[in-house]
Parts: sequence; structure tokens; C-alpha cells
Amino acid sequence: MEALPLTEPVLLILLSLAAEPRHGYSMLKDIERMSDGRVVLSTGTLYGALRRLLEERWIERLEQTDVSRGKQAYRLTPRGRKYLQFEVSRLKHLTRLAALRVVMKES
Amino acid sequence: MLSLYKHFLRFYPATHRREFSEEMFATFCQLHADAVRSGVPRRMQFYLREGGGLMLGALIENWRKFAERKFYMRHEFRFPRATWILMTIILAGVVMAIVKGEAISASVPPMNPALPPIHPAQGLLSNWGLSFLIMYAVGIIVGGFLFALRRRRTLRLQKS
Repeated sequence: MEALPLTEPVLLILLSLAAEPRHGYSMLKDIERMSDGRVVLSTGTLYGALRRLLEERWIERLEQTDVSRGKQAYRLTPRGRKYLQFEVSRLKHLTRLAALRVVMKES
Repeated sequence: MLSLYKHFLRFYPATHRREFSEEMFATFCQLHADAVRSGVPRRMQFYLREGGGLMLGALIENWRKFAERKFYMRHEFRFPRATWILMTIILAGVVMAIVKGEAISASVPPMNPALPPIHPAQGLLSNWGLSFLIMYAVGIIVGGFLFALRRRRTLRLQKS
């Protein structure tokens, strides 16, 4: 799948699942909240990304009994969490570097 | 609108539909209920976003399926027996036609006496025999290549 860097929708999906397992609707609402309404995914985009993440075993379906497919929840796998941590550290490094460069330019 | 969404889901490949269509529809119903409660502009935005996302998603999934199929090789594929029989009959027909053609060209005198009669090469390998051997060799090479590919794929699957 996508090697790092991740696309913004994929990063937001992983971040949404990092806190707790969620189903599709909950993920979409959480992503909208996290991005202050800037990123609003459609169901087509969300389930396309979920399919790829499932294939790469970055996320998995939460095994639930007596729950309809419409409320199927997903959670991060250890592998997905590891890649998310890589991406977060990469972004941290990038923002630190960017801040340094901007400060150097201004001084 | 809900039935239209359900209809659009048919554009997705069957595997994707089996896995996700029920979930997608349930999520869409929840989002639709939210959109109905909001104003008209937000509802229109919602319909446009969902319509575009669905079409783009279907396009991507179909393309992915097509790209996968392009390099897909069925494991342990065998021609059916009827194919072998048919191919043998066709080959026999072609060989007979070539032999008959050679016999006719040898028996008919040349129309233009200035030109000598064209005789097929007499020897161990006549023209048609040579062509057959070349085609046979090409077949073996291609078959070997496909076998190697299949073996490599099988090994890769065993490793994964």
C-alpha cells in the first residue's frame, strides 16, 4: 500500500482509530471534528481506504456478536499503530525543521 | 435518494459489494438523516460529495480489479480434452492442405516457360516441416516461461 508519507484521509482514518475502535459513521464524524470541518470524506472514499488498510493489515474488523454489518467496527492492528507512529515522528521532524528554517529566515 | 445510492453501488466490483455495500449503505443512511436535518445548501453539498465519491471510488475499484486481472494466472490450468482433439484435427487439416498444395504445384507445368517450376525443398526438412518445428519451439519456450512464472508465483504464495 502507500508507503510513508500517508495521504491526509488515510492519516486521519488511522488517527481516528488510534483512540478507540469505530464504525464508518463514527469515523467520518470524528475526522470532520479533528480537521475542524476541513476534511469531510464521502462513504466511497472512506470504504476504499478501509479496504486498502484491511488488505495491508493496518486495521482489522472488530469481532462482535449480534451486530449488523452496518455497525461493523474497525480497530488498529499493532502493525498499523507502528506505521502511524512512524508517520507521526516523520511529521514532527518535518515541522521542527520547518520551524527552524522559518526562524532562520526571519532573524 | 437512498434507492439511487443503492443503485450506484452496483457500479462497484462484486467482491467489493459483497464486503462493503451493506456497511456503506448503512453509513450513508445515517449521514443522509443528518443532511436532511441541516439546510438545503449543506444537503446539496452532501449529495454532490457522496455522488462524486461513489463514482470515483467505483472507478478506482474497477481499475484495481482490472489491473489485478491483467497479470492473473490461473493455478494448474489445463485445456479441456475437447480443445486437444479440436486442435489435433485442425493441425491435421493444415498439414494435409500443405501436402496437397505441394503435390498440385509440382504436377502443374509452369505457365511461363521462362520461369523454372517452383519445387518445394526436398530434404529432411521441407518448408512446412520447418515451420512446424519453429512453431513447436516457440510453443515450448512460451510454455516454459509461463511455467516459470506460475512456479514463482506459487512459491511467493507459499512464503506469504
